[in-house]
Amino acid sequence: MPVPFIMPKFDMDQEKATIISWSKKEGDPVQFDETVLTVETEKVAIDVPAPATGILAGIQYKDGDVVPVTEVIAYVLKEGESLADLPKTDSQALPTQPEVVSSPQEAPLSKPIIAPQNASVNATPVAIRIAKEEGIDLSKVRALGGNKITRDDVQHYMKEQQKPASRVAVPATPAARRISAETGIPLETVTGSGPRGRVQSADILATVNSRPASTTEIHGREAQVVPLTGIRRTIAERMQQSFQEAPHIALTIDVDMTEMEATRKRFNLQTEKLGQPRITVTALMIKMVAWALVRNPYINASFDDDAISLWQDVNIGVATAAPHGLVVPVLKGADHLGVSEINMRLIELANRARDNKLKLEDVQGGTFTISNLGMFGIRQFRAVINPPESAILAVGSLVRKPVVVDDKDRVEVRPMVSLTLSADHRVIDGVVAARFLSDLLAGIESPGLLLF
Amino acid sequence: MPEISYLEAIRQALWQEMKRDERVFLLGEDIGRYGGAFGLTHGMLDEFGPERVRETPISEATIVATAIGASLLGMRPVAEIMFMDFVMLALDQIANQAAKMHFMFGGRTTVPIVVRMPGGSGSGAASQHSQSLESILMHFPGLIVVNPSTPYDAKGLMLASLRDPNPVCFVEHKVLYKTKGEVPEDDYIIPIGVAEIKRAGRDITVVANNIMVMKTLGVAEKLSRDGIEVEVIDPRTLLPLDTNTIIQSVTRTGRLLVVHEACQTGGWAGEVIASVVGSPAFDFLDAPVRRLGGKDVPIPYNRGLEKFAIPQEIDIEREIRALVQGKV
Repeated sequence: MPVPFIMPKFDMDQEKATIISWSKKEGDPVQFDETVLTVETEKVAIDVPAPATGILAGIQYKDGDVVPVTEVIAYVLKEGESLADLPKTDSQALPTQPEVVSSPQEAPLSKPIIAPQNASVNATPVAIRIAKEEGIDLSKVRALGGNKITRDDVQHYMKEQQKPASRVAVPATPAARRISAETGIPLETVTGSGPRGRVQSADILATVNSRPASTTEIHGREAQVVPLTGIRRTIAERMQQSFQEAPHIALTIDVDMTEMEATRKRFNLQTEKLGQPRITVTALMIKMVAWALVRNPYINASFDDDAISLWQDVNIGVATAAPHGLVVPVLKGADHLGVSEINMRLIELANRARDNKLKLEDVQGGTFTISNLGMFGIRQFRAVINPPESAILAVGSLVRKPVVVDDKDRVEVRPMVSLTLSADHRVIDGVVAARFLSDLLAGIESPGLLLF
Repeated sequence: MPEISYLEAIRQALWQEMKRDERVFLLGEDIGRYGGAFGLTHGMLDEFGPERVRETPISEATIVATAIGASLLGMRPVAEIMFMDFVMLALDQIANQAAKMHFMFGGRTTVPIVVRMPGGSGSGAASQHSQSLESILMHFPGLIVVNPSTPYDAKGLMLASLRDPNPVCFVEHKVLYKTKGEVPEDDYIIPIGVAEIKRAGRDITVVANNIMVMKTLGVAEKLSRDGIEVEVIDPRTLLPLDTNTIIQSVTRTGRLLVVHEACQTGGWAGEVIASVVGSPAFDFLDAPVRRLGGKDVPIPYNRGLEKFAIPQEIDIEREIRALVQGKV
């Protein structure tokens, strides 16, 4: 890359130097440390050596120009280089014409008068630098303190320009900001009661409490008030609506997980070899559910007032605990995915849910939901359907218990799981729900069926 | 439990420890026949003899240097600086020698000295006998700075200091010397580096030391009648400072005021505030954090002006009300 030739600073408080004469011209070869030009500071005349060996090019200033220190005055090109090799930001600052408008006679040893973009602009070096950095056209800046544009003028101009911008800072205490984030009440919507209108936590809590049905005391005892906002409010409304509108029926079936566990173990021997994450029970369960859903289209359906939609895609939501409440990330097209793929997508979704980084599309478009409370030791439960879906599967904990395993009434201890399907009776008849469950049982107990 | 004074509590701790541990001895100006400038060592010369209650020349550097030397040879000296203001004369010994030896000798030696020093104003002792210089001492790693506010804490912390392997600056307050409180006669330790919540409250955390703890507790009682519940924390040890207790308290109350008698500029309130603002408690702050320190003036001799120079109950109350009502 071309080596920039910088106007050196010889003295602590030196701001500029006047070029007396160039001893080399454009295109001349120069040696490192060889004198290329002579400049004059307020104190002395000094020979300036080349910063590198090469070809002198891109001379920015002519004899007699006053140049601020640390400005690039030229470049030294190595063999095969041209000025076009300069990074773009530099090449913009590489005009063909020298930018100096004043001569030392006009402004003898005072602040240099230079305008990089507009030859008629009269500005201080600092103002020019800031303008350059901020991309400001100096000809639009007014010099308020005299005939020269100063740093203050540029900053004033910037402030004016930004006035209508959207970045309006709401004064608020850190606690108010935290509560605002937690409750989803924007700070802008709250009137601050603090000095200079600063929003304090009480102001937000007042907004929360002014919403109906907020009770702070029950039977004279104090309660911690958790405002019903954001995700909590959504969950509450949807569950209420679901339970009111959809007549829920619930059917339970116990499945034997022996084969499923064995299959999982075999899979994990493979994933270990491939360095992939271990297959979870949930991933296998999703695969089985997807398989059973394809065979039972009324389960993979939703209801609105006029019609029932039987979805072509099997998009399975997995109820997941997230920092701010329950979320249901959706695994799209589960019927077309292999177990390993399901497993990996599941891990990714769970991570995103935990870190609060789920995107809207991650939680939209579900056609069926699985809710698993087995890890809490819940054996069996009824879940509420996630509208507008028409069914949800509740998975209980894996319990080893004695079961009769064959015709001869032999009893064996087997890993068993209770599956409870809650179904919208408007869409799903009992027998349809039962068929789905028995298909699911067949799949789980004979995972080889997946191959069909 | 018997009620004794703050002064008597410190005296009792010294007395008991000298009985228990032969290595403990006292040295300082006028501590023998005269019984110490405040009478704290009264009777100790008769009890323990001139070998263990040693009168020294008027040279604070010598007092502390002697103590350091003795401690290196296995003794446990208690040096008295008559007024905290004079600790400046011994600061090279305390800060450059005592505080650093354990570190510079690769942990192969310790300096178990206790340097007692009464600080604070309120007794009309003018500007060279009234300062609160604990913030200066807090700046030196290797030191322990203890600053009790009650007779109970004074005894328990003195016993802890006497048994600590590190050099301890034991900062007392002249005006507190007469305050009384319940103090067990037996041996007990208050751990160094553990703050105490002197009063629980939900609306604001006030961190205060020595005499300001008393003043703040009085204000807190008064404000409680107006429904403002002030939590008062006494760090008891300023170095190491128990920032955890403070941070947890601010997380509960959302507001912080630090009150000390030392001049506000460069005072330890800044240290507390920096710890809180830089902690997770930041997101629980519901008001600007504030400090109320002494005015940045030498303490005046004139009693009226002296009062004016350091925070009084009325100032503490004003600050608390303003913070709680969101008026700052």
